[in-house]
Amino acid sequence: MSQTQTEQPTRLLLVDDHPMVQGGLSACLSFYDDIEIVGMTHDGKDALEKALALKPDVILMDISMPSMNGIDATEIITDSLQDTKVLIFSMHDSPEFVTSSIQAGASGYILKDTTSEEVYYAVKAVAKGQTHFSSSIAKMLIDKPARDTSQKLTTREQLILTHVAQGKSSKEIARILNISFRTVEAHRRNMKSKLNIESLAELICYAVDHGLVEK
Amino acid sequence: MTLPFRLLFIAVLQVVLTSILTYFLVTDEYRDLSSQSVDTLESFLIEQKHRELQNYTLLAVSAMSDAYENSAIDDDEAKAQVTEIIHAMTYSGNDGYFFVYDGEGNGVVHPKEPYRVGQNWWELEGENGDKTIQILIENAKAGGGFHRYPWRKPSADEMSEKMGYSVYLEKWNWMIGTGVYLDDVNSQLNKLQREIDQHINKTKQIILVVAMSSIFVIFLLGLILNLSQKKKTDQKISELGLKIINMQEEERRHISRELHDGIVQVLVSIKYSLEATGLWLKKAKVDKPQPLEHAQSNLQDAISEIRRISHHLHPRILDELGLSAAMDALATEFSEQTGITVNVTKPAVRKLVQDSINTTLYRVVQESLINVQKHAQATEVNIEMTIKDKWLTLTIKDNGQGFDADNSGKADDYGIGLRNLAERVEYHLGEFSVHSSQAGTQVTARIPKTSYANTLPVKEGPAE
Repeated sequence: MSQTQTEQPTRLLLVDDHPMVQGGLSACLSFYDDIEIVGMTHDGKDALEKALALKPDVILMDISMPSMNGIDATEIITDSLQDTKVLIFSMHDSPEFVTSSIQAGASGYILKDTTSEEVYYAVKAVAKGQTHFSSSIAKMLIDKPARDTSQKLTTREQLILTHVAQGKSSKEIARILNISFRTVEAHRRNMKSKLNIESLAELICYAVDHGLVEK
Repeated sequence: MTLPFRLLFIAVLQVVLTSILTYFLVTDEYRDLSSQSVDTLESFLIEQKHRELQNYTLLAVSAMSDAYENSAIDDDEAKAQVTEIIHAMTYSGNDGYFFVYDGEGNGVVHPKEPYRVGQNWWELEGENGDKTIQILIENAKAGGGFHRYPWRKPSADEMSEKMGYSVYLEKWNWMIGTGVYLDDVNSQLNKLQREIDQHINKTKQIILVVAMSSIFVIFLLGLILNLSQKKKTDQKISELGLKIINMQEEERRHISRELHDGIVQVLVSIKYSLEATGLWLKKAKVDKPQPLEHAQSNLQDAISEIRRISHHLHPRILDELGLSAAMDALATEFSEQTGITVNVTKPAVRKLVQDSINTTLYRVVQESLINVQKHAQATEVNIEMTIKDKWLTLTIKDNGQGFDADNSGKADDYGIGLRNLAERVEYHLGEFSVHSSQAGTQVTARIPKTSYANTLPVKEGPAE
């Protein structure tokens, strides 16, 4: 498996709450020269910090983790780091997990029971800006497509909605969440279109009605 | 017989016995007292009559004393004069009169029964065989005396008990007497007796009323006690049931998590170690040995199996993605298994509701779908979750045949699982209802906003 191309190795951050899995996987990936594992972490919150510090090309992200799950972490990372791709690496094979991940900005989704070879190819693919799904995931998405989740708010959007409903401006929210003003504005547009809402007042009403904030 | 009923029975028995005893004691005492007072009244009344008679007689005697004292033994003129006086003397209306018989029982004066005058009544007998006239004469000769005998009462024209008093006019060998009828005494005594009887009756009624109301109160108290105890017990049972369910749910979640996040991960790591071994061998240009191949495939099976068990115990999707996604997954799975169409409508917000409510509502959907599969013969199920007017409302509606109360087996089948769910929903201050008709069954669970709202924390800072 020698490196045939002259390009830089793909810088990979492993996020998995189980050290043994991480150990096994990194042992496998160490046989590939064009992948460099720049960091490993066991939980979502730590992954955010590591991602900001290391700015890896690809993050291999587990979903079930103690402090913050991988989907929420993915959303925040892809919000802040435009050049970092996230590849979900999970045991969960329900279509809902896959669509939620895609919504959160993941570039691919592979199952933990695939071979390390597929992991390698998937990492390389998303690094190039492509998307990659395990064959079983792709098949499942065709066979039983996830129920319509496109109208659901993501965790990030819901958090921003809560801030909006508390009267904060996009600028303030951008500062609080450490993301760009334009990203916040984009989230707000998305929310309005998902909720089929035109005005700020309606947005606030919706948040109050659904118990996101106290009146 | 349970203990409360035994106590109740003893209490009632005691009341009954006490009542009966009281009744007999009181009436007995009362009768004693009353018979004494009747006797006293009688002797008083008789005494009064005696004095009355003596006074009347004294009056009569003094009225004729002029003529008598100054007469000779056979002074017919004086006798006629006295006869006239006595004949005319009446008192107390029609019934008070004087009569005179001579020593041999010949009638001399009798204003009410004139036929007696001039005839001999020596042998006249009363009902009890007393020779009435003889006794009167005897009493008179003895210096005055009383005698009771039956006699015709003029005012009523019928026989009545009479008390006669007679004195003797020695010079003329006359017995002069008068009498009063005792029927008014008797009626007075009867009246008294009646009043006493009435009193006893009244006492009897009072005792009866007191006893009955005591028994009623005892029963009522017993009933209230029993009901409140039953209510308490029921509440305890349902609390306990809920506790068990919550514990079970927690335990399932825990085991599921242990399996999925623990053992499965270890197995996955072993899988990658085996793969790494394979890669290492490949690099060393050695063929992959058969046992390694087997180990890898068996390991894959083990991972799948454990994941299946874990999912069955508690769906991880519920914890990771929330209720909406979990319902979607459940609906898809159900549709695949049964061919029944399931439509899911849900709000755009996610992860609003805390874990225990999530799990409860998830179980409501799960149980409802199981019921649909078992009983409803439906072709379509609509699951709808809305947040409106401070309530989160979840409805599961099928287009099946419903179940009706007559077909109790079905209703029971429906009941047990759903009853547990109802309690779980109510535990979160929610409402739970099941409506069934020919057009299908609708299960509704409602959770108030106060039970779940504001559970989403507003995370601050760049670390987020």
